[in-house]
Amino acid sequence: MRYLKTSEAAALLNVSPNTLRAWERRFGFPKPQRSPGKHRLFTHGEVAALRDALQEGLSISSAISRAREGLAADANSLVGALASYERERADAAIEAALALRSVERSVEEVLLPTLEEIARRYSVESAAWAFAAQWATDWLRRATRLTPPPVRPVSIVVGDASRDELDRDAPYIRALELFLMRAGVKVLSLSARGVAGIGDAASVHRPNLVVVAGGHLDDDTVARWAYAIRLAVGAMPLAIYRRGAERPRTRGTGTSVLPSGAGEAQRMLLELLESDHMIAVAAAAGAAEFRAQARSIRSNH
Amino acid sequence: MPDRTVTARSGRPALRVLTAPVEHEAPVPTVSFCSHCGARPAPADEPPSSRVCGACGFGLILESRADVAPKPGDAFLVLDRSLAVCAVSDAAERLLATREPDAVNRHVTDLLMPADAEERGSESLSLAVMWAARGDGGRRSATVRPANTFGIRLTARIASCGPPRAALLVLG
Repeated sequence: MRYLKTSEAAALLNVSPNTLRAWERRFGFPKPQRSPGKHRLFTHGEVAALRDALQEGLSISSAISRAREGLAADANSLVGALASYERERADAAIEAALALRSVERSVEEVLLPTLEEIARRYSVESAAWAFAAQWATDWLRRATRLTPPPVRPVSIVVGDASRDELDRDAPYIRALELFLMRAGVKVLSLSARGVAGIGDAASVHRPNLVVVAGGHLDDDTVARWAYAIRLAVGAMPLAIYRRGAERPRTRGTGTSVLPSGAGEAQRMLLELLESDHMIAVAAAAGAAEFRAQARSIRSNH
Repeated sequence: MPDRTVTARSGRPALRVLTAPVEHEAPVPTVSFCSHCGARPAPADEPPSSRVCGACGFGLILESRADVAPKPGDAFLVLDRSLAVCAVSDAAERLLATREPDAVNRHVTDLLMPADAEERGSESLSLAVMWAARGDGGRRSATVRPANTFGIRLTARIASCGPPRAALLVLG
């Protein structure tokens, strides 16, 4: 995947960087990612698609519409491949998407919408859904295995409350895990059914935050699992992901409800972790300062 | 009136086809304009390096007949031969209460309708746009009204524009 800075993308399109930023505000395209330093990073594929569309366009809007159509072709070809049970063609379609986008955007803009389309067309009880969900889970697990080791000093335990791989929430949960791991977070994913020994797992992993994801298991089962973790490592923030909108009572308990999109949920979790980590660092610094002051007072006396 | 009846070699009377005399019209000058703000770029010795309008940044530079091409602030649309909207000027966005990104690829009748009382038939607008989008060099006009709005009449000047070939519809 090749990324372009704003000035490089603007030069490729033969416009000024200000014009490119104005297009992003007005049309939402090309949609940049952000570097760790918060600078815009445009994917070369999107910029090249727009450059070609501008050659034959009558307005920026129509050119952007044409470029978007070209990019949406990946999702259409993936739907076609999965609906006709062709694993190799599906692999090729997602590879084509990856040539134009980052892993996160390929998952958010191609893979997950494709699964939604399969579920809408054939229902989640169909063979097409079974094939598509299994293929998507395999692909997401493969991508997860290829993520670099964690670099952030934070970790998350995900309690998977989905039914199985054919649960409609399962690909979203795998996608969230992938996004978190790619952001450098240490992630331990466990089924929320397994309470026995969960304390040991939590003690080893020392999570900063617990996520309960999926809406299949009932609240009592999930609560027992969360309580077992809390017993092992103490109180910690809890977030719920895709537990359904019919459980608003959890909002009053200080539990964070994550957005249903995997990318948005990842960003919110990172913000939560960042704020918690900052509080912990500040508390530790405050305690050290207090101890230093106490030592100096003692020595003066 | 000359006698156009001639005698063929067989001796039978026959009609000879006479083509109408071709009227050589003076070529109509063309001008460049932005497909969003209508600004006309200053003529330069060298062709511009980018088709994107330097004034607003939201339109591409197109060419059309000087007597139809919009001026800055004019309300106009650019349509393709399937009558789909390709560009909407900022003044047309205000006039028709729409945004260009929302209007693009929609059929022109979602935004404009022929004003039937003034028009000979509802096809005249479509025909005029299709002829212009095919590159017909003439200038046409039609009376239209905003879709779902009655009591407003707008005169539309229609001509070819491009590249690529399309129809320009300037609302007066």
